[in-house]
Amino acid sequence: MEQAQALHKWFVERGCAAADVDVLQPADPFLETAGEDLRRRIFITSNGVGDMLCLRPEFTIPTCLHHIKHSIQTPCRYSYVGTVFRQHRNGKNEFLQVGIEDLGNHDASKADVQSLSDAHAALAKLGVDNHHTVLGDRTLFASLVSAIGLPKGWQVRLLRCFGEADQMQAALDKLKQNGVIASANEMPEWVVAGDLDLAEAEVSKLMSIANLPEQGGRTAREIAARAIEKAELDATRLEGDALAALEKFLEIDVPVKDAVAALTAFETDTHIDLGQARADFAKRYKLLAQADFDLSTISYRASFGRRLDYYTGLFFEIYQDNDAQNSIVGGGRYDHLLSMLGAEVDIPAIGFSIDFDRIKAKIGKGAKS
Amino acid sequence: MSAILTLPSKGRLKEQAIEIFSNAGMPIELPEDDRSYAGKISGIKGIEVVFMSASEIARELIAGSIHLGVTGEDLVRETVARPDEAVEFITHLGFGGADVIIGVPEAWVDVNTMADLDDVASSFRSHYGRRLRIATKYWQLTQNFFADHGIATYRIVESLGATEGAPAAGQADIIVDITSTGSTLRANQLKILRDGVILKSEANLIASRPALENEAVQELCARVKASL
Repeated sequence: MEQAQALHKWFVERGCAAADVDVLQPADPFLETAGEDLRRRIFITSNGVGDMLCLRPEFTIPTCLHHIKHSIQTPCRYSYVGTVFRQHRNGKNEFLQVGIEDLGNHDASKADVQSLSDAHAALAKLGVDNHHTVLGDRTLFASLVSAIGLPKGWQVRLLRCFGEADQMQAALDKLKQNGVIASANEMPEWVVAGDLDLAEAEVSKLMSIANLPEQGGRTAREIAARAIEKAELDATRLEGDALAALEKFLEIDVPVKDAVAALTAFETDTHIDLGQARADFAKRYKLLAQADFDLSTISYRASFGRRLDYYTGLFFEIYQDNDAQNSIVGGGRYDHLLSMLGAEVDIPAIGFSIDFDRIKAKIGKGAKS
Repeated sequence: MSAILTLPSKGRLKEQAIEIFSNAGMPIELPEDDRSYAGKISGIKGIEVVFMSASEIARELIAGSIHLGVTGEDLVRETVARPDEAVEFITHLGFGGADVIIGVPEAWVDVNTMADLDDVASSFRSHYGRRLRIATKYWQLTQNFFADHGIATYRIVESLGATEGAPAAGQADIIVDITSTGSTLRANQLKILRDGVILKSEANLIASRPALENEAVQELCARVKASL
């Protein structure tokens, strides 16, 4: 704990505001952003008037909420230190974390590199020298699925699987079979006809028979539009080339110094233009190469990400020694989170956290100032 | 010490449970006093009979404070995430059948499968500014089933009764509820997703794991199984 405090203090000396986060937090923001499934992994309680509270499972959301509530000027970097609480089936439930959240820096490449650089500097300060960083970039994948002409429904579906190898494979297998999301024959004729106004009117009728409220739930127009889209998708087949390109892309796993070349080669081979996403990736790499990094410890893996819908762009994890399972640092860009939490303007953001308990014994030996 | 067998304390479940033991040659004698909850079983030694509500039976079996019980599989699976660590489902008993299902409005013509629901749930927030809401009393079963399908973007609204009315009342978008014939669902213009049956539940004879060592428990289980 002393070392964690010292690191936090060091971050504050380097210009971060100290985030003051209560242990007891309202549970709703966590469940709204991460989904109901989180309920099984956090500790929930309630107070005498029935408010649902939880022990903080992480620092990012409370830090963002604090930032929004007090309308603090951006850009602003926060440092935090403390215990987070999560249910683990086997083992402990309390974990010590230190980290930085960087809110509102509109120069994304610069903030990305700064975040990586802060994480690496922190590890150096802790005397952790043998580590390896894996980077992923969701924007590149999003750009790919949109460039290969996949139907909208499939684009969304694949993006949702990004970072989850099993689910991605299942989705690709399904695409391979026939590219069909659903069969049109279970659709009413007035959907297959494809006239949105007509379909909307029919859905409205069904809704009013069932006394469904007109406000607050799904609208007849959205239901009708999605039904028509689904019926049309029945006729969609994905070209073999496009599928092969998807698989080829997801296999990219190279040292970061070769990443730009690998992406360019991919574009040349497949005749797919990754556009702005590739340009941004190259820009970020240029900054990374200029900064004080040992680039040989960083690799880029095209399929790497985390399946939470507020993550965008860069995602990274750092592993100690040769342990490729348990990361000691996790970080990433979450440009959508602050608006999901109620910010009125777009606030781009990136952060990382160090899991102190996962760092192996070396701590303390080589601490340098 | 005798092993404790618990049976549902009222209704059709009670009658049918008693019938099972009669058929297995171990007739149950009801308490003489209506307010008493202790019964007797003959034709087997070392077993005591207690009547309890079906959901208490599920809870006490998992806690290990009773040895054997007859209750609905849904109630046991709803009580803890991994019931098989605490109890053993000895046998289905052929009554008390009901399915725990996912019901969505018939007006949702675009949604027939869990994959459709996944699509709708994940874009719900961007369309409507909130998560998809599910009305249910089955927290555990719902969370497990949705997690198995990789769906996390939803919220549960607790509903302890008349769940099928929740969509019309604007309390939730869809429901997870129990149904035996589906008629209540149809009356409320709800349909079951094609792959949306979470559990086909019926009354089970269930033993608490530690009780499996007990000889009377073993004999009772074997005789019930043989009689079905």
